[in-house]
Amino acid sequence: MTAAAEPQSAAPVPILAHFSFLRRFRLIPRLEQYPRVVALAQTIVGKATILALFGLGLDYATWLHYLHNPRWKVQICFLVAVTALPKYRRILLTVGTLLWAFGIWWQWADHPQIIQAAISLVIAAMIFWYASHFRNSWLGRRPVATLLTGFTLTVLLASYLPRGGSVRTAAFDFLPVAGAYLWFLAYSLMDLNSKSRDPFRLQLGTYQPIWGSTNTPFPKGAAYLRRIEAKTPEQLAVAQLKGVKLLAWSIVLDLFLNYVFIPFVHGYLGVPLYEFAFHLSLVRARFPWYMGWASLISEFLERMIEFSIFGHRIIAVCRMAGFLALRNTYSPLSSRSIAEFWNRYYYYFKELLVDCFFYPAFMRYFKTWGRWRLLAATVAAAGFGNAFFHFFRDLNYIDDFGFWRALAGFQSYIFYTLVLSVGIGISQMRQRNLENKTQKLSWIRTRLIPPLCVSSFFCILRIFDYTYKRYPISESFRFLAHLFNLVS
Amino acid sequence: MERKETVREFLQTLLARKGDHQPFSDDASLLLSGRLQSVDAVSLAVFLEEKFGVDFAESGFDQEKMDTLNAISTWIEESSHDGQ
Repeated sequence: MTAAAEPQSAAPVPILAHFSFLRRFRLIPRLEQYPRVVALAQTIVGKATILALFGLGLDYATWLHYLHNPRWKVQICFLVAVTALPKYRRILLTVGTLLWAFGIWWQWADHPQIIQAAISLVIAAMIFWYASHFRNSWLGRRPVATLLTGFTLTVLLASYLPRGGSVRTAAFDFLPVAGAYLWFLAYSLMDLNSKSRDPFRLQLGTYQPIWGSTNTPFPKGAAYLRRIEAKTPEQLAVAQLKGVKLLAWSIVLDLFLNYVFIPFVHGYLGVPLYEFAFHLSLVRARFPWYMGWASLISEFLERMIEFSIFGHRIIAVCRMAGFLALRNTYSPLSSRSIAEFWNRYYYYFKELLVDCFFYPAFMRYFKTWGRWRLLAATVAAAGFGNAFFHFFRDLNYIDDFGFWRALAGFQSYIFYTLVLSVGIGISQMRQRNLENKTQKLSWIRTRLIPPLCVSSFFCILRIFDYTYKRYPISESFRFLAHLFNLVS
Repeated sequence: MERKETVREFLQTLLARKGDHQPFSDDASLLLSGRLQSVDAVSLAVFLEEKFGVDFAESGFDQEKMDTLNAISTWIEESSHDGQ
């Protein structure tokens, strides 16, 4: 097993030794730890079986939600190719990603956006070439900062174009597509510092890759792929077994969410959906405060399970392709600190903010801030970086409202990122002390109360995690007050 | 060699704080594998700045260069040559 295969929190916890029988229990067995299974997975019969199982799983997972989504068929063809030809894995990834992007993905939008996608990739290639050849230029020295500044100025300029004009329409047709590739290009530019950096043709394979992604690159960029790529048949077998397991786990979660949790909570118990409860608060309708809590908590849990399902599926395909990536979501409810939850909830988004904002801020700009250096860099990443990412993700609001009004409408999310980042920063500063102290405390004070407090923090903060710019922040505060029965 | 041992001891301390007492080889991935988190990377960076005078301001902080004990040693070596 490679080092990358280890879970994010591999450390044994002494207190849990008493419950070792529970720790040993696995709903899905650790297949990759049985030498015979790993040996079988390296044979042709084993590979065919794994691919067939995975294909069936993908088909079923797709059927559960997206009846007509052909992605799984394209993915399984790609997986067959990379399993048969592991030497050409990276170039096959580029070919598969481009075929998927231009053959299906960009044709699915309201109107086909193939031209916009092609232009975006050509511009990305030019930027990559320029930054790699002119290392002393602004772009060469500060590639990510220059890229993000350039994108911001372009969007700002586009927002001043006359409404209804063809240039503005074309600009706001193009910019969301370019924005979908923005953070992938950022990772490519960061890779320029690596001695063993990939050429652009291989970087392309990581741009909205065939295994799926959002505007957040899964799993990071080319540098990370090089590190986690299976180098031997045994590593490939382990990666693929872990891929099958992760897909199986995502299906279990999916079945639990849609056939147990939602029918029980919203059907049997009659807890209203969070959007409905929030709407009741908006129109000043009366509803019991505990109903608000119930809808908020159920929304918090549902969202977490949905995140796990969606992330597991992407990482499962990535692992099947021979890249032993870490999970995107890993037991967030067991987190003992805000920083730990943030790391476990949406790992690749956190990594993006760390790589693009936290490290540059910490290493370059706050060196003289002493003990506040960590907090300042965290606010720069989880606060500013987080808000920046989401503001420039939803460009339709800038088109509809104009740049500054859209920014003003973003107040609730800006407040959310500010509280979140300060919380993470303080949590990180306290983390060292906690780690030393917790060894002497009881299970309840280490494994029950801290996770409950952390989950409560994120659950309440969910009220402000709102990016749609339709309501002012005062409505979020009003809903919060309603939870404590302070307003009727 | 002495530098490498100093860094190894520090990495062991970082892992031990998380309750991770597993041994690690010179080429074992620590950051990218998730055994150490970004806050640990920051502790490592501050340690390298203070102990060996490494300056990340110009070069930036690259997790790949800090991922293994060998990579860190090479990085310190290169940084000290650059500084001379």
